[in-house]
Amino acid sequence: MYFLELIISGLAVGSLYALIAMGFVLIYKGTGVINFAQGEAIMVAAFIAYYLVTLFGFPFWAAVPLTLVASGLLGGITERLVIRPLLGEPVFSVVMITIGLSIFLRSMAGIVFGHHNYVFPSPFPVEPLHIGGIVLSHNHLWSMIISFSLMLLFFFFFKFSRLGLGMRATANDQDTATLMGISIKRVYALTWGISFVVAGLAGVGLANVMVLNVGLAFVAISAFPAVILGGLESIPGAIIGGLTIGILENLAGGYLDQIIGGGVKDVTPFAVLFLVLMIRPYGLFGTKEVERV
Amino acid sequence: MKNKSGWVTLAVWSCAFFFLGAGWALGAGRGVTADTVELGFVLVKTGPVAALGIPQGNAMVDYMNYINEKGGIHGRKIKVLWEDDGFQAPKSVAAVKKLITRDKVLTVMTTGGTNQTIANMKNIDRYQMPNIPNAMALEFFEPLNPYIFALGALYEWQYQVIVDYINDDLKTEDKRIGVVYTKKEYGKKGLDAVKQRAAKYNIPVVAELVLPTGAVDASSQVLALQKAGANIVITCDVLPPIISFLKTAEKYNYWPQVFGFNWATDDLLVKACGPAAKNYIGAGFVGSWTDETPGIQLVREIAQKYGRQPKLTSLYIGGIGVSMLFAEAMERAGKDLTPETLKKALETLRNYDTGGIFPPVTYTKESHAPAKKVKLFKADVEKKCLVPLTDWRSPKDL
Amino acid sequence: MPIRSKTFCESYHEDIKLLNTIWSKCWMGLFIVGLLLLPYMTDTYIVYMVNLSCIAVVAAVGLNILTGFTGQISLGHAAFLAIGAYTAAILGEGLGMPFWITLPAGGLVSAFAGILVGIPCLRLKGLYLAMATMSFGVMVEYVLITWKGLTGGERGMYMPEVNISGFVLDTDEKVFYFLVGITALMVIAAKNIVRTRVGRAFIAVRDRDIAAEVMGVDLTGYKVTAFALSSFYAGVAGGMYAYVMGHIHPEHFTLLSSVEYMAMIIIGGLGSILGSIFGAIFIVVVPEVIKLMAQGVETLIPAMQGRYDEEWNIAVFGLLIMLFLIFEPGGLNAIWLRIKTGFKNWPFTY
Repeated sequence: MYFLELIISGLAVGSLYALIAMGFVLIYKGTGVINFAQGEAIMVAAFIAYYLVTLFGFPFWAAVPLTLVASGLLGGITERLVIRPLLGEPVFSVVMITIGLSIFLRSMAGIVFGHHNYVFPSPFPVEPLHIGGIVLSHNHLWSMIISFSLMLLFFFFFKFSRLGLGMRATANDQDTATLMGISIKRVYALTWGISFVVAGLAGVGLANVMVLNVGLAFVAISAFPAVILGGLESIPGAIIGGLTIGILENLAGGYLDQIIGGGVKDVTPFAVLFLVLMIRPYGLFGTKEVERV
Repeated sequence: MKNKSGWVTLAVWSCAFFFLGAGWALGAGRGVTADTVELGFVLVKTGPVAALGIPQGNAMVDYMNYINEKGGIHGRKIKVLWEDDGFQAPKSVAAVKKLITRDKVLTVMTTGGTNQTIANMKNIDRYQMPNIPNAMALEFFEPLNPYIFALGALYEWQYQVIVDYINDDLKTEDKRIGVVYTKKEYGKKGLDAVKQRAAKYNIPVVAELVLPTGAVDASSQVLALQKAGANIVITCDVLPPIISFLKTAEKYNYWPQVFGFNWATDDLLVKACGPAAKNYIGAGFVGSWTDETPGIQLVREIAQKYGRQPKLTSLYIGGIGVSMLFAEAMERAGKDLTPETLKKALETLRNYDTGGIFPPVTYTKESHAPAKKVKLFKADVEKKCLVPLTDWRSPKDL
Repeated sequence: MPIRSKTFCESYHEDIKLLNTIWSKCWMGLFIVGLLLLPYMTDTYIVYMVNLSCIAVVAAVGLNILTGFTGQISLGHAAFLAIGAYTAAILGEGLGMPFWITLPAGGLVSAFAGILVGIPCLRLKGLYLAMATMSFGVMVEYVLITWKGLTGGERGMYMPEVNISGFVLDTDEKVFYFLVGITALMVIAAKNIVRTRVGRAFIAVRDRDIAAEVMGVDLTGYKVTAFALSSFYAGVAGGMYAYVMGHIHPEHFTLLSSVEYMAMIIIGGLGSILGSIFGAIFIVVVPEVIKLMAQGVETLIPAMQGRYDEEWNIAVFGLLIMLFLIFEPGGLNAIWLRIKTGFKNWPFTY
């Protein structure tokens, strides 16, 4: 029973990791860049939702779509101002710009939203669900549902829709994609917008579970193992990676913490990641980069 | 466009050097002129843990402004410089050097957290800066540090008082303690202190779990505690993870008696957790916001005067207290104010009454140890604040 | 006598010379004199900032060798600094060894760790390698905090002051000369490595590793060497850090520090030693400069006093990073080269 409880809560946390990982993978899939400001995007979305609910009095079910719209806009604006000028430049510089962006967003959030600790008024009843002896909070249930739905949605999006194909083509080879008539600018803008929307969902989800403060942005670092485990270009990989990491963390916390002595819970995902990369250098589901001389 | 960037860079660097070259030096005696005193302190103002420094910093500045409005000290107005260190030791050392060698303040009143103060211990000695650290550690006062004046019960003492209370006053049957801590020095010290003391009372410690400060989820810790049958949980962690913990425990319908130390014992805990905090008892070494003692009344008056609504009330109270001690010392030092006379003045404090903010403060030439006194507070869910549970008590001699 | 314009070399030796004009020799001389006189011209605060910069320079140069020249992205650099710092602390404080043992020992132990990381990571490329090194960093942080017997765990470790046969370096000014000396040594060594066969092999690995292997460049050997070398630099930088701070703690060597070092070399310019120096100084000094400027402006505009949120300084810093890279993705080094060639080619524009 204890074991099952750990698995279930691991899945719940894992679905949040999966959402965060999806954001990373989307941007990588569409633009070939790791967005170090993803955590800050999540944090800003969480704050927007918080202020919509507490300051402006929106009910939760209205605040969420507004937050997603705001996040999407933020993503589009970021892309236009910060990423677009570096079209064609080496990946390193773009990654560095996202690092600069993360610093900027973190401090702006501190200035605009305040440096303190806030608690998000949760719309879900406190009393969790009891399914066959397992305890599951509403918040976790919803994050799992949303993650899985998104996975299906994105799977079909990338495989069958024109825009999805365009994004994959752009990530593969920008020049050829342009030659084929794909508007790189539109692809970039949409990629960042969608990724920030996913970040918005992750933000709302996290705000319900954790204390809300500027430090929320650092949760994204815990999701890195999930991103790499699943492979950088694979959305299903991100989901599976997220769930796996969530479960591993909880199992390590529940069983190993008592034996090896504390903190193993947090280092386990990274240790596992290191081992996996030794065996499969491109993650579990990543595509091997074919190099030609 | 691209070539201009080179000139812009050049211009920026030149301005930078201009500002770097000019040092805003002050009068002869360090930080003291005929009609002003310049004090400085280093406390985190930016970054993820800014919430821990801002209320206290504001309080320290507010109290000095309050004194200024009452005429200053010996005809001198007090100016306070607050340097940020982002809670990082190298930045803290840089800030201290800037305050002393560039701004030439009389003293740096506090240098932030434990790591930052340890990194600055050499500087505190070399620059002779009477200093009240914003952290509790044995090495600050044992062996005697001539310029460090420790304030606040050590983590070990707080947990000893907690375990004493559990043994003497708590009416639970079959007491089983679980410890939730973090891998920082206050966490480890708390864990060790609890285990040692509980062993003396023969109370079993059935679980020891780590809950990191930035934890996303406390489920595995709560489940493990439930499995081990702990009906008393002692936490050795700061406020945000304790809030997570209490809410997670509520979710799993797990209602042990929860204890915490001073950094977690704040009105914000009750406000944030609501009913989840109903079983919380915390240790602290400052009075609570709703007390009706003269010192706390003054705190509320100052907060209202300067338009402050601190979220972490215990930190604001502590800040007023620290400034109060320095102001009293400057008063006692008299017209001839130097770092040395300030230090000697602090050493004349005997059971100095801060009006309920701190327990009575005593420093002598031989000992700058803090008062070994702690108060226990209980969460009052309706009033959304902490209320005192006991008076000032010390760990029992076992 | 032909007017010098652009590169004008007549032999291989001239081509790889470090200072090949009268002017560059003069500027270098002036720079050295200025550096030696620095402690007498400014206050201790500035000297301390320069000390921190020296440490950052050594670390950044090391990272640039690995990432800029060999193309192996490493997000675990801070871990190697930590290994060097703790080794130096254990030898210096625990066993009382002098600096000329602790610093190289720190470097060597770190280099060994670098080899241990480099070998499993031979197959990894790009961002996957970055994540693997990041995982290594997290694991090292965990070990440092947990293995209390060796590292003092969450209490950290103390470090005595540098003792040069009885002459104790107890002020920032004295430590300044010590650090500048070591930094100069390491930088010159790096510059030399980079302009020889080894350096060219590194660049070949970065640009087209399959082609390099076909031409006879031993990929495995050079990749591992790059890791070892960069870790050696990090280890020495860690030891220097321990001496300057007097007390080290695992919290000083987090992932964020690794990201900072990466920022130094990207902003400074990948693949350039001078760029590493620029980048290191930028990341260490600019936030303080912004703070000083903000405080200067604050004293001039009384309305802002007491209400200025210092977080703005950090926001400006992040903004600066972004703007720099938008206008010059090649980093500070590229800007420097443009200014230099501008002067060299004057009055011609190209």
